[in-house]
Amino acid sequence: MLVAQVFSVMIFVVMFLVIISEKVERHIVTLLSAALMLIVVFGLCMHSFTAINEVLNLGSFAKLNFWYQSGQAHEESSGINWATIVFIMGMMVMVEGMGESGFFRWLCLGIAKLVKYRATSILITFMIMSLVLAMFIDSITVILFLAAVTLELAKLLKFNPVPLIMAEIFCANLGGSATMCGDPPNIIIGTSLGYSFFDFIMNTGFIALVSAIFVIVYYYICFRKPLKESEKSRGKAVYPQPSEAIKSKGEFLASTFIFLAAVVLLVTHAQTGLTVAAIGVIVTIATLIFAGKKSIMLIKKIDYKTLLFFIGLFVVVGGLEQTKILELLADLIVSICGDNKFLIVGIIIWASGIASALVDNIPFAATMIPVISSLSATTGIDLGTLSWSLAMGTDVGGSATPIGASANVVGISAAAQEGHFIGWGKYCKYAIPATFIVLVISTAIIYVRYL
Amino acid sequence: MDRQLIISIGREFGSGGHIIAEALAKRFDLPLYDHNLLEHIAEEKNVDHEYLRKYEEKPKLKFFTKKVKGHTNSFSEHIFRMQFEYLQKKGDAGESFVVVGRCSEAMLSHNPNLVSVFVLGDTPCKIKRVKEVYGLKTDEEAHKMRIKKDMERKLYHNSHCKGKWGDSRNYHISINSSKLGIEKTVDLLEDYIREYISKN
Repeated sequence: MLVAQVFSVMIFVVMFLVIISEKVERHIVTLLSAALMLIVVFGLCMHSFTAINEVLNLGSFAKLNFWYQSGQAHEESSGINWATIVFIMGMMVMVEGMGESGFFRWLCLGIAKLVKYRATSILITFMIMSLVLAMFIDSITVILFLAAVTLELAKLLKFNPVPLIMAEIFCANLGGSATMCGDPPNIIIGTSLGYSFFDFIMNTGFIALVSAIFVIVYYYICFRKPLKESEKSRGKAVYPQPSEAIKSKGEFLASTFIFLAAVVLLVTHAQTGLTVAAIGVIVTIATLIFAGKKSIMLIKKIDYKTLLFFIGLFVVVGGLEQTKILELLADLIVSICGDNKFLIVGIIIWASGIASALVDNIPFAATMIPVISSLSATTGIDLGTLSWSLAMGTDVGGSATPIGASANVVGISAAAQEGHFIGWGKYCKYAIPATFIVLVISTAIIYVRYL
Repeated sequence: MDRQLIISIGREFGSGGHIIAEALAKRFDLPLYDHNLLEHIAEEKNVDHEYLRKYEEKPKLKFFTKKVKGHTNSFSEHIFRMQFEYLQKKGDAGESFVVVGRCSEAMLSHNPNLVSVFVLGDTPCKIKRVKEVYGLKTDEEAHKMRIKKDMERKLYHNSHCKGKWGDSRNYHISINSSKLGIEKTVDLLEDYIREYISKN
């Protein structure tokens, strides 16, 4: 077992470093690492076909509880989390359909019109919109559309778009923490540990809601002065109308209906018994049917690289799990903290937050899931408490730096394309205090509510 | 001139590459794009060009930047892309011009009307020139400045292009300006370019 443990750690560390170096595309890195894990660790070191079978987890498709779960079943799964893959694929298809129909642009322009194009009102409403949309849609898509409209309005209304984009990025990450489908770490936590959409809403959702109030006030205080100045000096402009954003009325209505149906299915999935995998498939089929001739184009636009990245990652983390390395890590945390629940939960939140500010939070969360399961078993701390701590730390920590989360990079890039540069200094000046505020609120709520 | 001509001048710091580019632009009656390239881009984007200049020909900082689905937070990369698009547009529109640095020999390599030049120089000559142009007191200061600038250009170029900065295989002609002096180097390059145009 020792040789298998050494090899699994080596494969994981090299994979992590190569991903960070960006020399090779990350899906190729995880798939090659997964192949090495299967051949070297499971095959040559452990001679265990059972372990290979468990990690590949292909049998999960044939199980009824993959598609339908009656009651509050909290079943943990290891290896490739196919439910996550199927769900993310479904959301990708749906979001692509919504983008094609002009839904996001229509929404952004509609809200800007509603607040009479006042820069400070746009700041607040766009923050709320970013937060709400990111609860159901991936934050990269949310920021791509919001930033594009923000830049367009900034040009027309002559205000600096940088404060708005920074605030929108932060709120997208915060909104993602509120639900099971908002951020990849949450999907992985939810599907691996058997939590429902409702579980997330009641726990991380509540923390995100309280934090959002503070964050909106914080960003308003930070940026109100320059935006109010711009409101005074703005001249007459011809504003783009929301209706102009709609490319086809039929497609627009269909994609809006599918989106609302997806929200309803997600919110009620504990009651209906439909799993996120089933919802992913329903959403995909509905979008493709409504898309008609465009369905081939939507399928082609699926981000296969991200899905392959997840598959490879799950195998590598499955390798660490099978070789009991992550249990050793959990034991190490226990040996440092003893049975001090406050210290253990604090470490999970803050260590996840700091790590996610610097490295990709998806592999981090996937690695930490077996660790918190083991911690819960040895210390008796409720697994839910540790899960919410991990979710808040990984989701929010990524907001602190320009490279902490994908939405940050995409938002900064969109601004830079129009000549507005958001450097590390400018970004961190506002994002680090906001991240600190949210992590303090998360720690306080988790301590008071669960410990 | 009837046909399109694009002259790309890569250069070592202190080699006189910029003066050579100016002289060639004059002799062929072509506009010169150097730092002013960003002025044109800034005008289009409605931002201050000094603001963009801070990141021009600066290398990417690997550990502080990240790429996500073709998006990046590297400003150096964005400046590179803006300049690339601008030059590409000019090139595709059939315009003739002289461009200094900015990876132009690689950016425009597909254009059959491109002549790419790399100007190098002997170290003592480059130190002397840097001292004169920048009003520096000692050779040591000039030498340090030269090393720093060349390193920045090299890192910038090599992080954006496949070919290496200054590698003679990536240019039509590489020339040491210290051997003949600036004036004769310009004469030689002019002859070369005219000959190249007549044969292609």
